[in-house]
Amino acid sequence: MPRVSTRLFGDLDFPSEAIIEFPAGLKAFEDHRQFVFLDPAGCAPLVCLQSLSAAALCFLALPVRAVEPDYELLLSGEDLELLGPGDHLGLALLTAAGQRTTANLLAPVVINPATRRAVQSVRPDTRYSHVHPVVSQEASCL
Amino acid sequence: MLVIRRRAGESFLIGEDVEIEILEMSTSQVKLGIRAPREISVLRKEVFLTREQNRAAARSSSPDVLERLRSNILTPAR
Repeated sequence: MPRVSTRLFGDLDFPSEAIIEFPAGLKAFEDHRQFVFLDPAGCAPLVCLQSLSAAALCFLALPVRAVEPDYELLLSGEDLELLGPGDHLGLALLTAAGQRTTANLLAPVVINPATRRAVQSVRPDTRYSHVHPVVSQEASCL
Repeated sequence: MLVIRRRAGESFLIGEDVEIEILEMSTSQVKLGIRAPREISVLRKEVFLTREQNRAAARSSSPDVLERLRSNILTPAR
């Protein structure tokens, strides 16, 4: 099994099927073309995208519907062509700012599980924000 | 914010090195031509915001944050 050095979990073995190809990388990280999709036990629905090119580059993410249950992906024609048709999975990258956490719903990472290709697709509308607040469990109980 | 009106075919300059020309207009969209030196980046705003947010997200990933999120994030219905 291939092995990757990860910022969050040390060295990990992973199956080759967990490699996702990003032909265009991520915005501001265009050189990072391969990521490993990690869903560590006990963390669901949180997932991690770990770059194979740099141990220090790892993104935390949530499925878009875990952030906003009614979220619908909206991809540009170019992104659809890059991904190919299929049952696309949208992931919102998370940023922790102090005690607040936000999700980028403006530009989700969209994965095609059938082809294992992915793209970060910037929505062509203004419906969602790049800093969408993520509700904590405590807040939702108030 | 400076507000100016232009018709199709007209242009304006930002500093001495950047020129924006209105190429075409329709009811839903305007087509702009931008002349700028290569070293000035020209980005749609949402792409600019996403680049910045990706950098912030990359910086904020850490075992501590993962642990905090894991205990606070909404989990699937019990």
